[in-house]
Amino acid sequence: MSGIDVDLAVNGLITGLFYALMAVGLSLIFGILRIVNFAHGEFYMVGAYAYTLIALGLGVPAWIALPLAFVTGAALGWLTERTLMRPLYAGYTSWGLMRDEYAVIVTFGLSLFLINLVDKVVGPYAFRGPALVETSRVVLGPVLISGHRLLAAGIAIAVIAITAMLIKWSFWGQQIRAVSQNRLGASLAGIDTAKASVIVFMLSGGLAAFAGALLSPVINASPDVGIFPAIKSYIIVVLGGMGSVPGAIVASLLLGVIESFGAVYLSYQYRDAFGLILLMLFLLFRPQGLFGEKGREV
Amino acid sequence: MAQSSSTSPAVQPSGAQLTTTRTTVEFRAALIAMAVVALIPLGVSNPYWLGVLVVSMYFAILAGSWNLLAGYTGQFSLAPATFAMIGAYTTGLLNHYFGTPPLLGIVAAIVVAGLIGLLLGRAVMRLVGPYLALTTLSFAEIMRLVTANSIDITRGDLGLSVAGLMDSRVGWYYLFLGALVLLLLMFYLLLRSKAGLFLQAIRDDEVAARRAGVNVVFWKTAAFAISAAACGFAGALYAHFAELVTPELGLIGQTGLIVSMTVIGGMGTLAGPLVAAFLVYVMSEWLRDVGGYQLVVFAALVVIFARFFREGLWGLAKAAVQRGRQA
Repeated sequence: MSGIDVDLAVNGLITGLFYALMAVGLSLIFGILRIVNFAHGEFYMVGAYAYTLIALGLGVPAWIALPLAFVTGAALGWLTERTLMRPLYAGYTSWGLMRDEYAVIVTFGLSLFLINLVDKVVGPYAFRGPALVETSRVVLGPVLISGHRLLAAGIAIAVIAITAMLIKWSFWGQQIRAVSQNRLGASLAGIDTAKASVIVFMLSGGLAAFAGALLSPVINASPDVGIFPAIKSYIIVVLGGMGSVPGAIVASLLLGVIESFGAVYLSYQYRDAFGLILLMLFLLFRPQGLFGEKGREV
Repeated sequence: MAQSSSTSPAVQPSGAQLTTTRTTVEFRAALIAMAVVALIPLGVSNPYWLGVLVVSMYFAILAGSWNLLAGYTGQFSLAPATFAMIGAYTTGLLNHYFGTPPLLGIVAAIVVAGLIGLLLGRAVMRLVGPYLALTTLSFAEIMRLVTANSIDITRGDLGLSVAGLMDSRVGWYYLFLGALVLLLLMFYLLLRSKAGLFLQAIRDDEVAARRAGVNVVFWKTAAFAISAAACGFAGALYAHFAELVTPELGLIGQTGLIVSMTVIGGMGTLAGPLVAAFLVYVMSEWLRDVGGYQLVVFAALVVIFARFFREGLWGLAKAAVQRGRQA
């Protein structure tokens, strides 16, 4: 492995960490409600805007604006769950047939709504958030990386680790896993499934917004900035197996590395297409993903 | 078709009667709406607004075709705009490189889009709900990326100039209207036949439909191919109208517009999406002049209609008529 390969691998892994922040939430939502949230990228976009506007508009230090972006995303997730997701499980039994379509339409509509609302209210021009540290580049052997990206990667690792541990060991995390394994069984065992889904949406929105905030010094946030990260996270949840959190983390890192090498060794123009081709192939031939369970009815 | 001669519980005479009546009522309503549209050029001669109405008809064809797939068969594809793009590029490339006349190009576009639809439909046969949406979404993005990046052939985002068909705006207006009415008639005849019942049976309960003897594989694929061919037809017509094809025709936002129109009009109704296509597109042109909030408004309407008025404007109109009769 030459120096450039090490550089590509490390940078790919770091990109993968940011993908993981997005994909874990999406996977949790799929686990608990069996839907794909097509507005997931807009949580990311809102996070980037919240961080930038709070830090620059109110003059708040970046270290405080970052958690505030998480809170904004969580609040939006709460609102989405309360107003739009309830019909998926609370009553409305006659809607059973069109349930999947309802979820796609309503989240797709929410995505269009948020993009255009931000476009009209804040403006279509790109925003750049303040960096956490001003060091422009850090050299680690063959790897060249900006100070902000390195620090952001460290924060991302910490947040992903905390999230994974909360899901695995905390009281609510265990209840969430119970609901995604068997909704009816969990509710018979006395678990409040509605509360579990509220928590999942808040966590998912918060994490996506946090990813947007962490990357806002790099991405030049514009209203449609969330579309591509969202598509990446769809690819990831399919690769990792829909609903699986460890699968989502591994698949995120894998996709980051694949794209990083593919852009250099295969084709830069088609770098965004590799993942999409993987997504189609997996859905057609291995829908349970790398780690998902086979044969579970949706 | 083997299954058209077999008797199945899904095709009870009384059920057939009920559905036929509902579809016929919707068909008549759509025809009345189209008759009103046919009269508009008598009063409006402004080429800008005629152009807006032509684009509305383009979207009405797409919304109607997508509705056949999503509303009547329950296959929620996110690629209708992509098939329009495929149709537009088929005739566009043929015209640009081989000088193929537009009419031949349009026929080729229908065939190519239909064949690709057939292949995709066959491939995604067993996927439901979110899986189908994701697969078709990636198909749409891959096609758009390939079109935009094959710069040597398609000139990428610059687009390809295509020969026009005629200069008269009014001529185009009636050509699009004719195409729209033709497709409406075809969809009506299809839905009124046993095929329409098969499709709706598959949408309502695929397992039960298969048990009842419906050839699910055949009809799901057929619906996919027909819908794709109709979208390709619309795209090819539009290419010669605009005299330009660009990858923007296949943007996911275009699909968003098609989905919005269908949901606001009423999924699974014949008239709703067609009428809503006109309302949404004309209103959005009008709102553009007063603040530009049109996309915010329509996105909000989609969410509100999906959440509270699942049968769309058509459902609201039907309820209003029923209330009027009772009073």
